[in-house]
Amino acid sequence: MSGVKLSQLVKRYGDLEVVKAIDLEVQPHEFVVLVGPSGCGKSTTLRMIAGLEEISGGEVTIGDRVVNRVAPKDRDVAMVFQNYALYPHLNVADNIAFGLRIRKTPKDQVQKMVAEVAEILGLTPYLDRRPADLSGGQRQRVAMGRAIVRHPLVFLFDEPLSNLDAKLRSQMRAEIKRLHKRLDVTSIYVTHDQVEAMTLADRIVVMNDGAIEQVGTPMELFLNPVNTFVAGFIGSPPMNQIRAEISGSSNAPVAKIGDQLLPLPASADVADRMGADVTVGIRPEHAEVHSLGTSPLNVELELVETLGSEALLHTKLADTPFIIKTETEEHFSTLDQVSAFSVNPHQIKVFDIDTGRVLGQAGA
Amino acid sequence: MMNWNLYSRGDKFFAIVVSVLVGMFTAATLYPFIYIAAVSFSSGFAAQAGKVVLTPIDSTLEAYKYILIQPEFWLSYRNTFIYTIGGTIMSLLFIIPGAYALSRPQLYGRRFLNLFVAFTMWFNAGLIPFYLNMRDLNLLDSMFGIIIGFAVNAFNIILLRNFFESIPESFEEAARMDGANDFQVLWKVFIPLSKPAIATITLFCIVARWNGFFWAMVLLSSEEKIPLQVFLRHTISNLSDDDEFAMTQLEAAYSAETVTAAIIVCSIIPVLLVYPWIQKYFEKGILLGGVKE
Repeated sequence: MSGVKLSQLVKRYGDLEVVKAIDLEVQPHEFVVLVGPSGCGKSTTLRMIAGLEEISGGEVTIGDRVVNRVAPKDRDVAMVFQNYALYPHLNVADNIAFGLRIRKTPKDQVQKMVAEVAEILGLTPYLDRRPADLSGGQRQRVAMGRAIVRHPLVFLFDEPLSNLDAKLRSQMRAEIKRLHKRLDVTSIYVTHDQVEAMTLADRIVVMNDGAIEQVGTPMELFLNPVNTFVAGFIGSPPMNQIRAEISGSSNAPVAKIGDQLLPLPASADVADRMGADVTVGIRPEHAEVHSLGTSPLNVELELVETLGSEALLHTKLADTPFIIKTETEEHFSTLDQVSAFSVNPHQIKVFDIDTGRVLGQAGA
Repeated sequence: MMNWNLYSRGDKFFAIVVSVLVGMFTAATLYPFIYIAAVSFSSGFAAQAGKVVLTPIDSTLEAYKYILIQPEFWLSYRNTFIYTIGGTIMSLLFIIPGAYALSRPQLYGRRFLNLFVAFTMWFNAGLIPFYLNMRDLNLLDSMFGIIIGFAVNAFNIILLRNFFESIPESFEEAARMDGANDFQVLWKVFIPLSKPAIATITLFCIVARWNGFFWAMVLLSSEEKIPLQVFLRHTISNLSDDDEFAMTQLEAAYSAETVTAAIIVCSIIPVLLVYPWIQKYFEKGILLGGVKE
């Protein structure tokens, strides 16, 4: 089993640098998800690993082999495409067997391998069907079957679930996770959906504008985002970010939001910025709701979105939109009376207002 | 059954106008066929007198008898088959790989090469330079010359190139990741996906070859190499010039008109037979289900 290493990897289109010297090491067996907004370079990075995109600078190493000049077919990687790219003129069995036949695998072996993969993916009853006669989820499974049948060193997934409806997407997400558990193959998965990233990844790589913002386990990214971009990207809904002025004392700093005061975790970085403006980040799920008069921070409730076991409260905190996520069970009858919240200072993030970098190591 | 209540007055009017236009067009296209067929089965006298309108007058098979006993007819028929089949295969051999190469973004100098191909659509050497060229290549009065000389057609290349370009790139990428080389990508993925387009250009080639007349007349001098269309022309001019034939016409059951019509009918039959067979490849939405955009 092989890992994948990217060193100073660059992709340029003319003068436009779309991947800016990124470094990343994917361990053998690891499931790494590249996540970021459209145009952040995540798909380009994946395609450079696959060999579908020329590398403008740096190196891609698969196992212990630098593959910059190795053709895609000789890199021993398999890719699942966003649009599946199933051959419409071939039935499911032939689609899965395509790569094996091109590589001149003996006939009886092809049959055995296809049957095995079909069994794993639950495609056995559909082997004779053409892609046009399959449902979206089945097509997706065929696309995966085509990848896994070759037993590659690395799986590459390019937004494989973005064409499925929500329900199917969560089913397939679980299926991909099970498949990875079973096959234990190094996988690199590209998505713009942070829920997919959170649920699938051993480690998440958050990319923005051609560069890596942060690499870490889902919980690391959730709890300790290094900057406002990651804070705003991971989590659903994302972290609330409010402009505030630091006041109080260096031992007990507070954020002044409008005329309200929010106690902050003490740190040297924060103390240094006494009197300056910062961005305060609070996760919607870390805000605890209260009724009027009992709490330090008052909010103006605008709208309640009930999701079942949870509810999203859209409020305004000093004229800035502020979302609170709360369990419905205990508060249901009083949700529409919420007018204040409190938050554990250790769960508050403070970011530099200009660079967006997190200050101190609060809450770590 | 159509429920007319679902349509507004404007829709109904539109449907009626469209039906009338389609009907007129169909009649205009179909009538020459019917007329020629009717003439070919009529007596020479009736045909010459212009009595034939829709059905044969004084039905007779004499015109067919006259041409079918001529060995030159069968020879030219055979030649036309050779030119059509050989020429179409030759065309596909050049056009498919050419169109594929021109459709690939990684082709070096692609824009220039495409322009180069398209250029020949608007400008060509003209009759005499082309004739001289064929002469210098020793391809005058040569069956191979006819086959290869007109094998490549810029319009067909561009047609197929555009179709290839419309095939999502991920098909090629998936095949490449699966280990296919350029040739395999073309043969195992692009050609099967392009059946409708290839069927179209095949039909274009077949029809052009089958009806190919002018260059065969210019380039071929041996009687035993001429295709059917040239034989048809020879027959028409022979019959009209032939005084003896003209003399016998009054009693003969055939005339220049009916013989011409009979040859035309004979020459249309194979194309009529081939067309439905090719038409089944004009499947719409062959890409359906392979990708999801």
